[in-house]
Amino acid sequence: MTQSGTVEHRSAKTGSTAIDRPFWTRLASIVAGGALLAIGLRKRSLGGAIAAGVGALLCYRGLAARDRRGATLESEPLESEPDGDRRPDARFSGAAPAVERSITIDRSPEELFERWRDPDTVTRVLGPVVDVTADDPGVWTWRIVGPFDRQWTWKTEVVESEPGTFIGWESHDDAAIPSWGTVRFRSEPTDRGTVVTLDLNFDPAGGALGDAALNRVGIVPATLVTKALRRFKALVETGEIPTLERNPSARGYGDLV
Amino acid sequence: MRALCWHDVNDLRVNDVPEPEIVNPRDVVLRVTKTTACGSDLHFIDGYLPTMREGDVIGHEFMGEVAEVGSSVSSFERGDRVVVPSFIGCGNCGYCADDLWSLCDNTNPNPELQEPILGDVTAGIYGYTHAFGGYAGSHAEFVRVPHADENCFHVPDELDDEQALFASDAWATGYMGADFCDIEDGDTVAVWGCGGVGLMAQQSAKLMGAERVIAIDRFPERLRLARTEAGAETVDYTDVDSVVDELDARTGGRGPDACIDAVGMEAHGTGVAHAYDRLKQRLKLHTDRGEALRQAIVACRKGGTLSILGVYGLMDKFPLGIVMNKGLTVRTAQQHGQRYVPRLLEHAAEGEMDPSYLATHELSLEDAPRGYELFKHKKDGCVRPVFTP
Ligand SMILES: [Zn+2]
Ligand SMILES: [Zn+2]
Repeated sequence: MTQSGTVEHRSAKTGSTAIDRPFWTRLASIVAGGALLAIGLRKRSLGGAIAAGVGALLCYRGLAARDRRGATLESEPLESEPDGDRRPDARFSGAAPAVERSITIDRSPEELFERWRDPDTVTRVLGPVVDVTADDPGVWTWRIVGPFDRQWTWKTEVVESEPGTFIGWESHDDAAIPSWGTVRFRSEPTDRGTVVTLDLNFDPAGGALGDAALNRVGIVPATLVTKALRRFKALVETGEIPTLERNPSARGYGDLV
Repeated sequence: MRALCWHDVNDLRVNDVPEPEIVNPRDVVLRVTKTTACGSDLHFIDGYLPTMREGDVIGHEFMGEVAEVGSSVSSFERGDRVVVPSFIGCGNCGYCADDLWSLCDNTNPNPELQEPILGDVTAGIYGYTHAFGGYAGSHAEFVRVPHADENCFHVPDELDDEQALFASDAWATGYMGADFCDIEDGDTVAVWGCGGVGLMAQQSAKLMGAERVIAIDRFPERLRLARTEAGAETVDYTDVDSVVDELDARTGGRGPDACIDAVGMEAHGTGVAHAYDRLKQRLKLHTDRGEALRQAIVACRKGGTLSILGVYGLMDKFPLGIVMNKGLTVRTAQQHGQRYVPRLLEHAAEGEMDPSYLATHELSLEDAPRGYELFKHKKDGCVRPVFTP
């Protein structure tokens, strides 16, 4: 599954060498999604989980778009959909693959709030596949490097926050992977630390089909959320994240082999 | 470097693999000096425990010499001789703070493989499936040890390697099993199983003041060790109609004050749903395994303690009604080695307990596949093969 294969496929389908951008986007979404899935599922690291999760999302975006049009990949581009009112509705429809998980961390809400606002922390927590950088305060660029050095980037912006209590963010309209989420911090009265609740929502296009697509490949965003929270806890409690990086085996180095 | 790798069911090979490196600042890399097989390895060797991957380096009971030191390690330097518990603690989470090291929250890199089955995440362990962390094991020339200040223990110069090695797992586990029994003077403790862990539990129970220890097994050479090394009375269960009746007769009709199950120690920590059917199959094939735990429940005196070191992960037919009606206290855990290792090394230094007789076969790492054969089939009186990389 190579990039040139994708191009050939596109040319054959459209009978044109012109760049059919929306079509390409969707096909690339499915193809690259599949590649990421294949790689992600073989891996056991967070990188693997993220790659698999993102792959599943890309797959499901491609599948969802095709299904809703009830037609082929040449159908109307996803990007041109009037989605102005789609997101807020779907946001509460419960149809999107949304996940909320909690973990208890032995630190104060204020400290955890500050740590979560640091893009370096989030980059470390999300592992080697996702990279987060801050453009302006509260505006982050997310970058995923897939196989064959493919990249996806999108921006999110903090839309609500209250120090020591919660942070809420949303992706910009043109995001490759539309998403929004909140992280909330609540002090446990019993001196057990702070309950951190992470709520992640991905593009709701496709609704139940999206869930089905994710389930079919055995990946649920819960894996990403659970793993991210566990890594966040390990990082703030111990200063490092448990890793299989450069782990020796007869397969070679690391967990990616 | 050379390392013993799992390739498939009953297919272990010594391969060339890359050397481990410092990855996190609290890591050390050890040059392994002694490493031993554990009964729990047999479960993935036999294919009953999933999430092994072809080429995984196995082994989790070991000692070594510090070869490389991470930037945040404060208590160890190159050349230090140390022993390392098999479960990895972080020293910073609530569980480590409570001395419950095998429950550490922060050392399993693969929580997503374990949490859906156990409902929670245990500490990571070396060379013991990806659900339990996926860390490279110790049957190798070098091994990376995370959170070294918490997981390495200086070995006093006067101790031989074999006196310290078993503190890594077999001794710590057996000692913990005896500790669970809150032994008082005059108590009788029955121990099912005379493998490494069972023998250590028997000897530890004696050390903690048990008046009598009764060991149950069927291999004559192991029963002999129980008598000569651990000072136990023995029951060969193939010689008696009913182990329960035999124990009843030997304890004035009361039953032992505490019963330790060290038979299923091979099972270490199954708890993975995929293993269920195969495990069930195995339990049917080897009914004595589930049977040992049931015997212990029936034999134990009212209000006594049942200390479970063997794991019957997803076992059904657990007679909970008997446990309840007899008011038994059940205590169990994977070993919290970090809680016990300093005490064990002290016992060894004081001459109060010496586990080195467990090392029945000394082999090179290249001979490790043969060592596992001897160990698995209990050939040639093998209790534990010890490998020198
Ligand atoms: Zn073990
Ligand atoms: Zn811990």
